Parts: sequence; structure tokens; C-alpha cells
Amino acid sequence: MNGKSIARALPVISASGPVERLESLFDMHHNRLYRLARRLAAGTDDALDLVQETFLKAARFPSSIPTGTANEEAWLVRVLINIRRDQWRKKSVRDRHDGVRDRRSDLATEGRDPEATLVAKSAVWQALDVLPPRRRAIVVMYELEGMTIPSIAALLGISAITVRWHLSVGRRDLARELKAYMGESNENR
Amino acid sequence: MKTVRELLQDADPLQDEPVWPTEERDLRRQAVLAAASGLHSRVEGRSKSRIAVFSTVAVAAIFALLLVFRVWSPFVRDVQAAVHFEVRLAEDHPGPGLREAKVAGSERSIYLHDEIIVDNGDIAEARVVRQEGASQYVISMEFKPSGAEKMQAATGNHIGKPIAILIDGKVVMAPLVRTPIDASAVISDDFTKAQAERIVKGMRIQ
Repeated sequence: MNGKSIARALPVISASGPVERLESLFDMHHNRLYRLARRLAAGTDDALDLVQETFLKAARFPSSIPTGTANEEAWLVRVLINIRRDQWRKKSVRDRHDGVRDRRSDLATEGRDPEATLVAKSAVWQALDVLPPRRRAIVVMYELEGMTIPSIAALLGISAITVRWHLSVGRRDLARELKAYMGESNENR
Repeated sequence: MKTVRELLQDADPLQDEPVWPTEERDLRRQAVLAAASGLHSRVEGRSKSRIAVFSTVAVAAIFALLLVFRVWSPFVRDVQAAVHFEVRLAEDHPGPGLREAKVAGSERSIYLHDEIIVDNGDIAEARVVRQEGASQYVISMEFKPSGAEKMQAATGNHIGKPIAILIDGKVVMAPLVRTPIDASAVISDDFTKAQAERIVKGMRIQ
């Protein structure tokens, strides 16, 4: 032994392993994931938590992540939606247990002042909360991100028919929940 | 009369918000990378996270520095009394005379050169070192002068390319060479003390 300290060895190389891969994944995909997360979650902090949780899952299962940018994105998006689904289910059970009252009908009748826009936004978000996360993600990707049905299908690993079905049911549910706002100029006033 | 799409667009929070608050992005990034380095920190909130990130960054930096060599944990369970250690140069792409090998615990393939740079006979000292502030252990190695010379000569012309760490014939890690390696190296993973000691003992046997 030549007695050199451990520090002597430290800077010589750095690993091209899971940590570096995760670093690359984060830099490449965090914006895309945050955009989706923000439209699936109730607030900024929840969205950030959701993205962080997604990458933590990637950190725990590095060998599960496929190679290639498109495949990586698809894997991460699916993980994010699954995490959100688990949160949504837990919250649904909690809300039922706590007897949380549905305020959508109340909100619809409150929209008569300058705060009407905010109230409408709130109502839209509450209506979105009713959709299961995967369906909500499909609605968001189609209506807000402008993705095509085939590209959503490819991203989520499901058929185009399934995407169309989720889209149709999601729009129908939203239209039902937001009926008052869709016709507010004629019906609500 | 508004459509569902118009209502969604009106309510879209990304209309008015930055895509990623920069400060938060950095905090989350550090937390994720620290977790990947064996730590499991979690950003709980903005105020707490500021304090957490400083300690996280500090510990992550230590891990990054110590992450010279890495042995995949499941493999460690299979380590017997004797451990055959080798270091070989490798390439990311196939070529004449190169042998394909998978890096344990990943889908990554590398292509090994035939020549062994150093092996057990070149190790002067191997010892178990506890990670500062953590419950994991790393293996610190010192090469004999001849081994250090061979490592320096081989890696000096191999900057930016992978080098394969093999234990009992399996590629357990293939880090990139950043600067020439000479007398010392560290194998780092989430070793328990018993696992690290078993490997060190196995290295000394041969």
C-alpha cells in the first residue's frame, strides 16, 4: 500500500451509469412532464411533486426505462399518469369518507360578477378533477397540447380507438359538468 | 356559447405561469439525482427544501466523486469467497476484435478490448470505507506501481471512452474515463458492510 488517501482517487473518472442517465432524462423530459403534470394536478407544488415522483421512480427502476427519446418520454408519461391515478384514487376515497360536498352547482350560479372568469376556471378544474387521470391526460393532450389521436395512442401504448373513446367520454362528462358555463351568455343570465 | 375546448383553454394554468419555476426546477433536479446516487431525499416544501438542498447537494457531490467504480448490488449477493477483478478498455460501438458485453443491471452494451489492463495481481490494497454521513460502504483500492503505470498508460489515451470493471467475468460498471487513472480507484454502490467486506476479502485471495 502506498498510503495515498482516498481523495487522491476521487476525481479521476465519473460513472456513466444510472445517475448520469437520470440526469440526462431529467434535462431532456422535465419540461414536457411538467406541462402535463400541471394540467393534471391542482397546483404548481402538486405538479412539481408529481414530476419529482416520476423521476424518483425512474431512479428506482433504471433498467425498466427503454432507450430512445420517444420511448423514454412514453415511459415517463405513463409513469406520471399512473402516479397521478393512484393519488386520484386515494383522494376519491378520502373525499367520500369525509363527505366532501360537490360545489360545482354552487359555483355555476355565482358567476355574475367580475370574478366570473375565476369562478369559471375553478369550475373547469373541478370538472377535470372528476375525470380519471388517464382520460384527463388524453383530453389535455388533445385539446390543449394539440396532439393527434395516433400520437396520443403511441405515447400511451394504447389503441387509437381507445383514445377516441376516452376523448368522447371525457368531453361528454366535461360538457355535462360545465353545461352552465358553455351556455352562460344565454342560459345563466 | 363556449365549447369544452375553449373553456379548457381559458382555464389553462400554463397561460399565466412559467413552465418551470427555475429555482424549484434546480431543487427538484438535485433531489432526484441525490436519490439516484443512493440517497432518498425528498423536497417537502419550499422553505424546508432550501435547507435540504444544501445538504443534498453536498452529499450528492461526495457520492458523485466517490462514484468512480460501481458494482451492481444484486450481483454482490453472488460474490463467493474468491473474486476475480479485471479492468479492460471498452468502446461504445462494435469494432474488429471487440467482444460485446452487457453492463449488469442495465440494457447497455459495450464492446470490450481483449487486453486486461489490471487484475487482482495489480491491487496493492483494498479496504472498506464507510461513506461519510451515510450507512453505505465503498471499496477503496490502491494499485501497485506497475498497476498504476498500466492504468495511466491505458486510460491516458482513452479519454471520453468507457472503461469496463469486471468482477468474475461480469461487467459490473462501465464508467467514462474523464482523466487518466493511476494509483487509486473507488468502487461505490449501496454496499452493506458485509457485502463490501466479502468483495475485498475475495480480491485479496487471488
